[in-house]
Amino acid sequence: MTFNRRRSLTGLLFLAPYAISFVTFIVLPIIVAAYLSVMQFDLTAKGSIHYVGLQNFKEAWADQYFWSGIKATLSFVILMVPSMLVFALGTAIGLNAMSRGRNAVRALLFLPGLLNVAVTAILWGWFYDGTFGLFNFLLKKVGIGEVHWLSEKALAMPSIVVMTLWWTMGGTAIVLLAALQQIPRHIIEAAALDGAGKWAMFRKIVFPLLTPVLLFVVITNTIGAFQVFGQPFLLTKGGPELATRGLVQYIYETAFNNYRMGYGAAMSWMLFAIIAVFALLQYRLLRRSVA
Amino acid sequence: MSPKAVFGGMLAFCVILGTIRANDTVIGGRKKTELSFWNGWTGPDGTAMLKMIREFNTENPDVEVSMQRIEWATYYNKLMVAELNQRGPELFVIHASTLPRMRRAGFVSDVSDLYSGAGAIRESDFDPYVLDQVKFGKEKIGLPLDIHPQGLYGNVDMLKEAGFVDARGNARLPVNREEFMRAIRAMMKTPKGDATPSVWGYSMTMWRNNFMSLVPQFDGHYLSKDGRADLANPGNIAALTFMADLAKNKLVPPPENQLGWVGYRQKKVGMVVDGVYMLGDLLRLEDMKYIGGPIPIIGNHAATMADSHVLCVKTGLSPEKREASERFIRYLSAHSIDWAKAGQVPARKSVRDTPEFRAMQVQYAFSKQIPTMEYPPRSTVLFELDFEIDHATEMAIRGDETPTAALKAATVNLQKVLDRENKDYGTGATP
Repeated sequence: MTFNRRRSLTGLLFLAPYAISFVTFIVLPIIVAAYLSVMQFDLTAKGSIHYVGLQNFKEAWADQYFWSGIKATLSFVILMVPSMLVFALGTAIGLNAMSRGRNAVRALLFLPGLLNVAVTAILWGWFYDGTFGLFNFLLKKVGIGEVHWLSEKALAMPSIVVMTLWWTMGGTAIVLLAALQQIPRHIIEAAALDGAGKWAMFRKIVFPLLTPVLLFVVITNTIGAFQVFGQPFLLTKGGPELATRGLVQYIYETAFNNYRMGYGAAMSWMLFAIIAVFALLQYRLLRRSVA
Repeated sequence: MSPKAVFGGMLAFCVILGTIRANDTVIGGRKKTELSFWNGWTGPDGTAMLKMIREFNTENPDVEVSMQRIEWATYYNKLMVAELNQRGPELFVIHASTLPRMRRAGFVSDVSDLYSGAGAIRESDFDPYVLDQVKFGKEKIGLPLDIHPQGLYGNVDMLKEAGFVDARGNARLPVNREEFMRAIRAMMKTPKGDATPSVWGYSMTMWRNNFMSLVPQFDGHYLSKDGRADLANPGNIAALTFMADLAKNKLVPPPENQLGWVGYRQKKVGMVVDGVYMLGDLLRLEDMKYIGGPIPIIGNHAATMADSHVLCVKTGLSPEKREASERFIRYLSAHSIDWAKAGQVPARKSVRDTPEFRAMQVQYAFSKQIPTMEYPPRSTVLFELDFEIDHATEMAIRGDETPTAALKAATVNLQKVLDRENKDYGTGATP
């Protein structure tokens, strides 16, 4: 065997474990979901599987719960993505300005992200509890009455967003911090010598140079936000009045509570299309601003 | 031996180990039949069942039953997927109300032979209504272990303070609408200067179950006789209106913080309606004095909602496993007095007629509702029905819809599900 062939074989062998799991757990389910989306398939009805064309997609289009799921998902995305950007960027700038203890703060910020969604939800469930929760205990200390964080329609989704921010912001802030640290110091120094103020420096130098990373952060966070499931499912079960029942939860309930695999798969593909459109739009818009 | 050979040997060993799946073990030269038993008893009831299983295993050395407890919330998903994949347990529990849908999947076996032949459990030992739940044509696809009606729990001290005592001076529960409302008002305590009571007479628990417990009292129903969705009938509207009015008139904690069962445990609530299975939770509280009894007559007559845990066997078992499974079911059924101690009402009349059972205050009091209890409708779309009721009760109790409008919307949605079910399977929703 030649050296080159041996080298490429070694490369392939190293790649094999990931490639196998990627095909098994990503590619195959996508193909199966595509197949199921055009089939009528109820797990509880033996031999029920048959081709129905676009019927499942048409049904979703006319399904009020599909649209209420979209509405709840969008409200999460709209609240989550901008606040994530603002807080993560603010934190990254703060960390970048720190001369001492930066690593310790960075580690602390990253710590919640290591927790499992179930642990995070249980913890925050206690924080938010109407009667015994930490937040209401603190509010009571300053003379403010009980706030029903998770059971009031107007507050439930923002409360879930706050929990998600605490849980996931560290990772995004660290990515942005790394990008900030990549900005050449001489550009900042030159701007300072030219008399640029801090705001002008941020607007004219830092922000434009951060845009490629911001593009990445916005797109990945948007995709993640569209797939929100664990937090509302564990904290509110989708309530009150379906205000936090996102599309993924509805898909899960359709496929695994009501056993309608075909219909669930069709809605998954619709969600995929929505995410793809949003991601593409964001990519185009932000690319233009980079250019 | 070279490191390569050692590594290769270890890898091969791991692969072989991974492919081995033991079905039966051999003990003392005799084959031991292993059975897996799945259920959703994750609370104190699970501990009681575990004890019964250990006793069964001791008395039956040729059989080893192991129990897997899974939260009811995800239990049926897991059971369904596991059974369809041929990797599910030999024995499992299904609620009577869920049987129609599970049966359709084809993994629940006919166990009619349990009711006939040697060691038979007599059919006459069950209430006909309860036995009807497991009958599908000529088949009986399970054995009801218990009955769990919804009933009223009351805090003894708070009832006495509110004047609800019998001739002997013992606390008693309200028995009709007038008494119930009087008890609610008498138990409420509002600290001076506060707008909200700190102690409530009554709190709703799970809205759907509370609603479905009142529906039979008002002669309501969910499906019409011809199998169509009919949630907005006068009986259901009256039941939901009663609940919505309690919230509107601030006679129960606000829907955003309804306290429910937790409030009752903490003595912030005097009375709650819940299942007999919640007794297991109260038994753990040393300083809690409580009584249980039938739901007061709020509607036209006494009635409540109930359900049963049904012991089922997987299809396609080997004769040994089948025999061992049936032996286990017979054992549990015969020892259901032990199960009753955990907070259940045995399905077998002979067990309920024992002095031991009659001495169990809450279980016996709840069992008095058996002649007037109603199970959820026998339908393959029960999960969808539950969801619609959840949504409708929430809208009405929060005051965002009138009970009539909420139930009408639920009817429309449920009918769509029924239409689809009829179109796809042609069997209708009521097998």
